[in-house]
Amino acid sequence: MIALKFEFRRPKDVEEAVRLYGEFQGEAAYLSGGTDLVPRMKLGLEKPKVVIDLKRISPLSTVEDQGEWIRIGALARIFDLKENETIKDYFPALKASLEATSCESLQMRGTIGGNLLQNSRCLFYNQSEFWRRSKGFCLKMGGKSCNAIPGANTCFANYCSDNAPALCTLSAEIEFSGPDGTRRLNLEELYTGRAEKPFKLYPGELLTAIFVPKKKSVGGYEKLRIRGAIDYPLLGVGFSYGNGTGKLTIGAVGPKPHSVEMKQFSQGAIQEAAETLLKQVRPVDNTVVNPEYRKRMVPVLAERLVNKVMEGVK
Amino acid sequence: MDRLKVKFVVNGQPVDLNVKPSETLLETLRDRLELTGAKEGCGLGACGSCTVLLNGLPTRSCIVLTAELDDGDEVRTIEGLADGTKLDPIQESFMENGAIQCGFCTPGMVLTAKSLLDRNPKPSKEEIIRSMSSNLCRCTGYKKILESVEAVSSSKVSKS
Ligand SMILES: Cc1cc2nc3c(=O)[nH]c(=O)nc-3n(C[C@H](O)[C@H](O)[C@H](O)COP(=O)(O)OP(=O)(O)OC[C@H]3O[C@@H](n4cnc5c(N)ncnc54)[C@H](O)[C@@H]3O)c2cc1C
Ligand code: SF4
Ligand code: FES
Ligand code: FES
Repeated sequence: MIALKFEFRRPKDVEEAVRLYGEFQGEAAYLSGGTDLVPRMKLGLEKPKVVIDLKRISPLSTVEDQGEWIRIGALARIFDLKENETIKDYFPALKASLEATSCESLQMRGTIGGNLLQNSRCLFYNQSEFWRRSKGFCLKMGGKSCNAIPGANTCFANYCSDNAPALCTLSAEIEFSGPDGTRRLNLEELYTGRAEKPFKLYPGELLTAIFVPKKKSVGGYEKLRIRGAIDYPLLGVGFSYGNGTGKLTIGAVGPKPHSVEMKQFSQGAIQEAAETLLKQVRPVDNTVVNPEYRKRMVPVLAERLVNKVMEGVK
Repeated sequence: MDRLKVKFVVNGQPVDLNVKPSETLLETLRDRLELTGAKEGCGLGACGSCTVLLNGLPTRSCIVLTAELDDGDEVRTIEGLADGTKLDPIQESFMENGAIQCGFCTPGMVLTAKSLLDRNPKPSKEEIIRSMSSNLCRCTGYKKILESVEAVSSSKVSKS
């Protein structure tokens, strides 16, 4: 049951959606597949006055070859994208991350845009309101300190998009439409680095599309998880290579993905790249496994992935 | 706006309802239409026991708002799978292969399998595992569930 009162609207185009958001002074939530939003509403983590369903805005769900770029509509479903021939051919890292996302039936409903804008997860936060109230609200809920690391005044919640790290290795860009018009930015610029409020999004901004440079690459994605399906990533490692350069990205440890460029691919070079990434993250005890284990798996997965991908290049 | 008018089709029957925006498809099916085959396990999209087919695709009805449905959308629940008293081959196969213990996950499992076999009558073992792993079972250990799907896909069950 969702113990909330809200209105439900289905705008016909982006302008109407943005206008509605404004009408409700920002106490609004956009809905794509709802696989992240609806559970959050059930847990009382999100309390919109209006839910704005974007599914009737059909130009948001198409995939288009624009020559230099592949434009992926924000509402394209994960399941459909992993069957897309261009993605298979040009962006194998993305193909692998789409496959690794949750499970097939959630992929059939979840969209790529919703995947990038999913809120962060923490064992002490993604719980019922009753549970959270008994424990005492943490920083992400407007409280005074973190519950994972008692006393800490930083939030360490993890951003669990599987596809964001893969898209970072491909230097993807994203486009928003909002009350002040349209803007386009590198996916990596989306993140604030602060887990309480992970995205640099203006109120009312709607993600319309993801643009990936149409350049052939080889690549892959490795995911640390307990079970082979449904589980969120405990660590995600993506890698893409083309034209002599590689890009290695890690996600699901902390509020944003971290990337490093690579020109050499010896064991030493991979270890060095993993070290560089490790310096940027601080996994803490807010998932189902020990943070030290997640840290140690960074070089392990990086080595496994880069070796596998580069083996194919020889 | 308190209530919304929603029209769709459930097991071949058109329905026309006024729903609260916060009503989930699982609540509509169980509480209003008395179709209690879809089970509420986690209520948060994690277990798959509330799975129904929405336009042929397995969908977790506990995290779909009924208001999201469009005119012409088709919902199929476990109650709509048999043809009168004649069970669907996948239902037969679950019974014959002993793929049911407590039965809580079974409606969701059967519908997930049904959707896979409708889209791909001869899935490989890997494809079966990939599809069926959307649903959690606490009892069977999955082996018999996979065997039931394999039995239908390789037409070892010839009762259809
Ligand atoms: C059990 C379970 C397991 C999961 N496992 C994984 C996993 O392993 N990996 C993973 O990456 N994800 C996982 N997810 C999360 C989720 O299913 C996916 O990320 C999915 O792709 C989200 O897409 P959606 O369309 O359903 O998003 P929605 O729920 O519709 O939206 C997500 C958020 O983005 C906002 N939003 C949606 N579309 C737009 C838009 N166009 N513009 C602006 N804002 C928008 C919404 O308001 C909401 O805050 C899991 C979810 C569940 C329930
Ligand atoms: S890491 Fe700490 S502050 Fe952040 S959501 Fe978890 S408990 Fe709250
Ligand atoms: S009850 Fe819907 S997925 Fe668990
Ligand atoms: S038979 Fe009991 S949960 Fe699957």
